[in-house]
Order: sequence, then C-alpha cells, then structure tokens
Amino acid sequence: MAHRSVYRGLLFASPWIVGFLVFQLVPIIASAYYSFTNFNLFQDPQFVGLHNYQRLTSDDLFWKSLFNTVYLTVFGVPISLTAALVAALALNMRVRGQWFFRTVVFLPTVVPVVAATYIWRWLLNGQYGFVNEALAAAHLGQPLWLDDPPWTKPALILMSLWVTGSAMIVFLAALQDVPGIYYEAATIDGAGMWARFRHITIPLISPVILFETIIAGIFTLQYFTQAYLLSQTRFNAASGGPENSLLVYGLYLFQQGFVNLNMGYASAMAWVLLFVALAGTLLLLRLSRNRVFYAGE
Amino acid sequence: MKTARLTTVWSALVAGVVLASACSSGTSSGGTVTINFPYLWGGPEAQALEGVVSDFNASQSAIVVKGVSSPDFQKQLAEMSGANGFDVSDNFGSTVGSWASKGILEPLDGYMKTDNFNTGDFVPTALQSNQYQGKTYALPIAVHTLLLMYNKKIFSDAGISGPPATTSDLQADITKLTKVDGSGNITQLGMRSPDYVTLAYAFGGKWYDSQGNPTPDDTGNVAALHFWVDNVVKKYGADKIKKFESGYGEYASAQNPFYTGKVAMTLDGEWQPVFVKQYAANLDWGVASIPYPDGRPNLAGATQLTSSMFFVPKNAPHKQQAWTFLKYLTGPQAMTKFTRALGNLPARKSILGSPLYNDLPQFNVWLDSLKSPNLRIFASLPSTAQYQKDLNDEFQLIANLQDTPEAGMAKVKSKAASYST
Repeated sequence: MAHRSVYRGLLFASPWIVGFLVFQLVPIIASAYYSFTNFNLFQDPQFVGLHNYQRLTSDDLFWKSLFNTVYLTVFGVPISLTAALVAALALNMRVRGQWFFRTVVFLPTVVPVVAATYIWRWLLNGQYGFVNEALAAAHLGQPLWLDDPPWTKPALILMSLWVTGSAMIVFLAALQDVPGIYYEAATIDGAGMWARFRHITIPLISPVILFETIIAGIFTLQYFTQAYLLSQTRFNAASGGPENSLLVYGLYLFQQGFVNLNMGYASAMAWVLLFVALAGTLLLLRLSRNRVFYAGE
Repeated sequence: MKTARLTTVWSALVAGVVLASACSSGTSSGGTVTINFPYLWGGPEAQALEGVVSDFNASQSAIVVKGVSSPDFQKQLAEMSGANGFDVSDNFGSTVGSWASKGILEPLDGYMKTDNFNTGDFVPTALQSNQYQGKTYALPIAVHTLLLMYNKKIFSDAGISGPPATTSDLQADITKLTKVDGSGNITQLGMRSPDYVTLAYAFGGKWYDSQGNPTPDDTGNVAALHFWVDNVVKKYGADKIKKFESGYGEYASAQNPFYTGKVAMTLDGEWQPVFVKQYAANLDWGVASIPYPDGRPNLAGATQLTSSMFFVPKNAPHKQQAWTFLKYLTGPQAMTKFTRALGNLPARKSILGSPLYNDLPQFNVWLDSLKSPNLRIFASLPSTAQYQKDLNDEFQLIANLQDTPEAGMAKVKSKAASYST
C-alpha cells in the first residue's frame, strides 16, 4: 500500500522532477564542468583548468560589473524595502478607499517589465523626459539620467521604487500579524508613534524584514532585464551603457557567453556569483542574530 | 484497477507532450524548399530587399525564400548557435574573421567551384575581407565609405563659402558654426561627434600593423582624438555636449540632427542621398572629402571602407538552396536593383559606372571616393569584434574627458596583448 502511494506520488511529481533534472540540475553540473574549459558552442570544449577564474581577477570589466551590481544591491535594496515598508504602513491605516490605494500601489508590478522599461527610457530622457520637467518645476537640478554615467544606477533605483508592490504586500501581511494589544498597552504607557514603531513593529516584523532583505538581495545580484534594455544601441549591439555604468554582472556574463562566445568564462562568472550570493546571505544571517526576534523565543 | 488506468492515461499524456515539443517543423512540401532569410535591414531598405526576394521567388519554382527584417546582432548570433538556424543572412565584412575562426560560417569555395562561379568582378578589397585563411566564407553585396556632409544653408548664413579642405579649416568652421545660448547650453553643434576610427585614417593613423597586430596608440590615431577633444569637448564642455546629444532624434527619421540643422556637419555614408530624399527633401546639403591635416595633402581622400556581405551559417538546414539564393543576391541583376534602391556602392566593378545612379544627387562624390589611394579597411580578424568593443569603450571615456587620448589608447594596447589571434 505504502509503495503504491509513493509510486503514484512520484508519478504526479514527475513533470517537475523531469523539469528540474533537465532544466536545472544537469545545466548546473554542465556549467561547473564548462567553467574549467574554453568553449565557444561550435567547437569541442578544451580543458584549461583554472585559467578562466584567473582571467577573471585581471579583467577590469568583471570588477566593474561586480561593482555595479553590488552598488545596486547595497543601495537599492534598503531604499526599495524602506519604500515598501512605508507604503505598507500607510496602507495598513483604516481609511476610506483603502482597497483603492492598495490596488494603485500594487498595479505597477503587473505591468510587463519590458514595456515599463521602454516607457521609463523616455520618462528619464535628459532633455524631454517628464522626470526632468518635474524637477525643473521644483527648481531642482536635472541630471541626464541614462546618458550620464554617475546617474544611470540611481535611475535604475528610481525605477525600482515604482514596483515595490510585491514587497509591500508581504510587509502588509506581517504588519497585520502584529497583535493590536501591544500597541494599546504601549499607548496607555505613554509611548508615541515613533516609539511604538521602533519597539513593537520593527522587532515583531523583523523575521519578515530579514527574509525580504535576503530575497531582494539575491534577486538584485541577478539584475539583468532593465540594464540590458536600457543599454541597447542600434542593431542591439552589445553595450554596457555610458562608460559601462549599466554593465551589471548578469549583463556582462550574458555578453561573454552569447556575444563573445566564451561559454567557459561565462560559466566561471556564474559560479563566482553563486559564492558572492552565498557570502552575502551568510553575512546577513550573522548580522541578524541579535536583531531578529522570532515568535516563541 | 482505476489507479492503473489513471496511471496509463497520465503517462501517455506526458509522453505525448514531450514528443510533440521535440518535433521540429518541416520546411518542404511537394518538392519546393522554403528557406529562411532574416536580415538586419529595416524600414524602406527592408522593403527594397523584399522586392529582390519576390523577383527571385517569381523567377523559379524550386525554392521559396521567406525574408524577415530582424535588426538585432545578438539575436542573429543566437540563432546561429542552435541545432537548426536560418539559411542566409547579412552582416558586415569585419565579422568574417571572428566567425570563420569559430567555425560558424559555411565555406563557399566548394559551391563556387561546382557552379563555376567567377569572383573576378567583385571589388578586390571587399572580397578579401570576406575571406579567412584562404577560404571564402561570404560574398559582398555593397561597399561603404564615409565622407563629410555639410549643411549649405547654415554655411552660407555663417559666411563660409565652401566645405573645409584642411583640419584647421575644419577647426575654424566648427567654432564658427557652434552656437551656445546664455546659460552655456549648446543650441547648434558645428559637427556631430565622428566615427573616430575613420577620423584617425584621415589623420594618417592606422589600427593594425602589417603583421595584424593592433596599434591603437599610433600617432595618427592619437592626433585625431586630440582634434576632437581639444577643439570641441574641452571648448564647450563634456556635459553640455552630452546634454545636447541626448536630445538627438532617431537616425533614420526626419528628426536626424543633421536634417533638422542641429549639427552643421557630419561624417556619413553613401546611403544618405536616398535617406535625405526620403526624410528631408528640402535640405540644402553638400558633401566633400574628409579634410586632411595641414601640410599633408598626400592624405587627402582618406576614409574607411567597410563592406556588407551575405553568408550561409554552418547550421543552415538547406545549404544548397541557400547557395543558389546567395548566388542570385550577389549577381549583377539583383545587386544593381538592391544597391540602387538603398543608394549603396555596389561590390561589383562592372556596376560601378552604371548610369542608374545618375539621378541620385551627389552620389557621384562617394563613387569617386572609391578611387582614392588612401582608402583604408579595418582588418577582419578573430579579435576584431573584441578590439572594436574595447576601442569604443575607450572612445567614450576619452570623449567624456575621463582619459586622455594617450592614456586611453595605451590601455587598449595592453588589453590587445591578450587577444586571441
């Protein structure tokens, strides 16, 4: 009887198992092997040992792309998560039309990312974009955004503030899980809004904040789509944006693999990214030890 | 009982889905072979090519060519890396060295021999750039040169009688023709930022030595970069120029900055007479050779020659039919029709003198540029794509004053030491 149900269970899980083996496990093992070879897809791979990894250390575009990606992660993740938390706090308040505001804040996440990116390209245009017109109306400086090397990554971070919907929903759920009696007790004891936020809200949603930070961090380390689209030039020739400021790690990996046909080098880059993400995650977990409070502890 | 039947049905379903997705679509029916022909041209140029395609389809019944406009370098390369790709496509001659060395182009010598195909009529430099290690991997359809186009009205308004002959004339003209408003913003730029590879040739520079080693730090190259940096970027400000350039309209449209008078001069190719007719019919313009450095008239007429070619990828499903179509495309009849429609210089010597080009205003200046002894080609080697990318990255830094021309070209020289030959 138990055998029959295991067999049936496996059969129903078979599409996923086949998919995982064919599209994930086998390619992962293959890329580990290719990272030790020179492979241009058309001729047989030649074994070169650690040569690809050594080349990485002296390749300044590799370091530039790593810098760009870490910049986006270190600055972009806190900024966008803060925006998501602020939005969640605002949308947690009982006001009329709460459903409307929640929908409006979530709606941008539903817009296809490619369409949205092309629209942002024109919104951020240095001479004619609406963003600069708004800044001019407020008598503020108007950077050239996507044409000015120091401003391209802030432009990407600005774009990510628009799609905080999914993190906002997770924070909203976490906020609603905080028992109201704590707030009542604190108010009776004379705690103000900021004190309640600091001493009740933050500690009680801290596991969710940690989770979102790790997820957003891993996601941002793999940033690709918007950078690829915004650095496009005529005939979609490979480009990294002005002075390679938009050359994120994923984009450089893609160019090495599919434009320069250095599949071995690209595979080595992929494994380095895995270790960077692992190191980052372990660091976050370490830092969170005394700052995250799990219910029941 | 029930679960056994459920299991069988489920297994059959999964197997069916897997099999169906593994089948590739067949492309022949009843003897006619359909071949796929994606190309990089778009808009009116694509329409001209489709005219050639329908001529071919109408002229015989064994092959049907399906053309599609796909102006995407990366997509083209990706399609060449699968098990089954397209049958014929186009690119620039400079990619042949890199692609042939990786084995992704089908060599054409066997097909040419079987059909007794004569290559003697092709412009020799164009044919050479389509060869690698003695084998031919592509056939040229057109050659291109860049010349100095200038806006006659803006020139006469500023009191300049004719186009600049020397680089100091060019310097003076750019200064006279660049207008800046009260807050330092540029409202008109004397010249659009040029292709630095071509400008270097005008200054007597070279990008490879005779052994095929990259020479980015050649004195002529550095002099060309200094010309632009010292006379334009440092004078008007890198960020002011960037701001002005960010407002440029699309190249192939009526908003091209040269057509709208935003820039008074530009380096551009022989397709411009057709483009101007299409997008800016009322433009009063002229064209001349690129200026030569003062005191070196032996460098007059220098410019870069590039070529467009058609090729058959190694993973083409119908190579024989692809070759038949390729022969037609680069034959005199189709080449005349296509290059005339695009206003490109044909790659066959016999067509160069054709009266068909007489009604294209000022096209003869580009035709004459082919006769210059200072015509230069960027070599087509396996490292060419990487070299061009490193050069373009460095040009950007130099144009933004992040690097001096000397330091920048020295950087590229050290990168070039690690190129695979």
